[in-house]
Amino acid sequence: MYKSRSEKTYQIVIHVLVILIVISAVFPLLYVLGMSLTGQVEMMKRNYFVIIPHEPTFAAYERILVSPLIWKSFGISVFRSVIGTGLMLLLTVVGAYVLSVRTLPGRNIMLFLVVATILFNAGLIPTYLVVKELGLIDSIWALVLLYLVDSFGLLVIKIFIENLPDGLIEAGKIDGASEIQMLVRIVVPLAAPALAAIGLFSMVFHWNSWFDAMVYLNDANLFPMQLILKNMLTAASSDAMQSLVINGSAITPESMKMATVIVGTLPILLVYPFLQKYFVKGVYMGAVKG
Amino acid sequence: MSEARRPSAGKTAAVAVPGVGNPGTAGLSAGRKPSLWKRIQQHRTLYLLFIPVLAYFLVFKYWPILLAWVVAFKELQLGSGVFQSPWVGLQNFKDIFLSPDIPNVISNTIEISVLRLVCGFLPPIILAIMFHDMATRRLKRWLQTLVYIPHFFSWVIVFGVVFGFFSVGSGFVNNMLAAFGFDRHEFLLDSSWFRPILIGSALWKEIGWSTIIYLAALSTVDAQLYEAAVIDGAGPLKRMRHITFPSIMPVVTFVLCINLGFLLNAGGEQILLFYNDAVLDKADVIDTWVYREGLARLQFSLAATVGLFQSVIGLALVVICNYFAKKLSGRGIW
Repeated sequence: MYKSRSEKTYQIVIHVLVILIVISAVFPLLYVLGMSLTGQVEMMKRNYFVIIPHEPTFAAYERILVSPLIWKSFGISVFRSVIGTGLMLLLTVVGAYVLSVRTLPGRNIMLFLVVATILFNAGLIPTYLVVKELGLIDSIWALVLLYLVDSFGLLVIKIFIENLPDGLIEAGKIDGASEIQMLVRIVVPLAAPALAAIGLFSMVFHWNSWFDAMVYLNDANLFPMQLILKNMLTAASSDAMQSLVINGSAITPESMKMATVIVGTLPILLVYPFLQKYFVKGVYMGAVKG
Repeated sequence: MSEARRPSAGKTAAVAVPGVGNPGTAGLSAGRKPSLWKRIQQHRTLYLLFIPVLAYFLVFKYWPILLAWVVAFKELQLGSGVFQSPWVGLQNFKDIFLSPDIPNVISNTIEISVLRLVCGFLPPIILAIMFHDMATRRLKRWLQTLVYIPHFFSWVIVFGVVFGFFSVGSGFVNNMLAAFGFDRHEFLLDSSWFRPILIGSALWKEIGWSTIIYLAALSTVDAQLYEAAVIDGAGPLKRMRHITFPSIMPVVTFVLCINLGFLLNAGGEQILLFYNDAVLDKADVIDTWVYREGLARLQFSLAATVGLFQSVIGLALVVICNYFAKKLSGRGIW
């Protein structure tokens, strides 16, 4: 179809440009990987200019992975991602189902209460005061309870349920199913694609969060992984890094930091190829809703 | 069904009549709307189900909003609760307007958000159009997969990557400079480099992912339009101008309005990681100021007041921009 010269030039130009953009998206990671595998000796020998290490060393990783704090924080991140997402999905689908019933008296007020929270938030300090008042400072549950309902996700699921063929819900009603049976047997299975997408985004959100943990938690034993990584990265020459980089060892502080970055990206990179299409579908769902 | 009928017995005669003898469809039959109370009774399981959801919103969303308004007019002291603290009228607002930091913080917030919007808006659109026009199916899919990856990294990781690139000792950029005989430069401690690095790294993280909404819009364009255009002799640029642009304009308008609406969210989480004392004058925004002043220096009332201010202006912006989004593109957030 596209045979003329201008078509060919156009194709070549866009391919080159896109490939350049993709390289700039990926190259920084490869550089970080290379750095994390470069030891002190090679660094000195090659005058600090190393992209691909000739003598890769895993010493930095060994040093990081013996830290008990890393493993503990990994467990906490898994906990908040799994429990946080599970409970969020439960409450969000219940809320979405209730608000999808058009004949429900007071539905508009309830809907307004939900939507208003997307538009107006109280800010950091008042939320902190509430968490404190509830005695949730230094509790991992704060990181779960704060995100128990996803207002935007609730709207997406609500519209998804409303767009299901009318007959399905009606049939359930005629068969005499209770509301809970309807929810569990009909709505949840049918809304599964929307639930999966929202659940995946919530997992990524929980996994990547560190700021809330920094605000609401003081005990380093409760820190999620991203906060531990953050502390390792920003501790330029502080004790945290120094204690890891023992004098005369083969590891540079830079390679330690870069290994930290790789440890932080690895879990995401491992699952990403399998889940990519669901994420994209999720955005389409949100985009269609608009 | 039976629960729906039971409470109606003897409640109000007007409702009980049409339902008689046919409890299953009570209220639906006879074309008459059942009374409000009756409908509430019918749906009481739904209300019960909604209680935990409502409780969440009241405790974690509306209680803080109430506190925000109360604390703004109080002098909150450490140790005593919000309601025991003394009222101070408009003192907090006065303190804010007299504070030496605030003008700089506000102008930084606006400048950084506008920069973000200006620099971050067009690149994803261009990339989406190029993806859309690429004639190679499989290569295109691979490239898309790769370019989405940084979106899934936390800001902590992005900061780590930036450090790997710009640090003095062994950052890639400095290594390149040194290799070509230039001096190494402390990019991360230079306030004139702070914003380019901040916005560049945000673009690096999101450029790929932001294409998806445009690609979704482009995927609905009828391929026959393009074929017809080719037959009529329209070259790639002409097709872009007459088919591609018009098809994504509504989405572009929509995204622009929404981004304007959330303008004041200058990305505090990212800045909190990237900034340091050396670049504070160019980096301090409302979010970071509120965090430092409120939680590090325990000036709860001042910080909460500034936060409230930000939320109120943010709300106004979102409402206005949503109005224009609806008007111009036919859809809004609500």
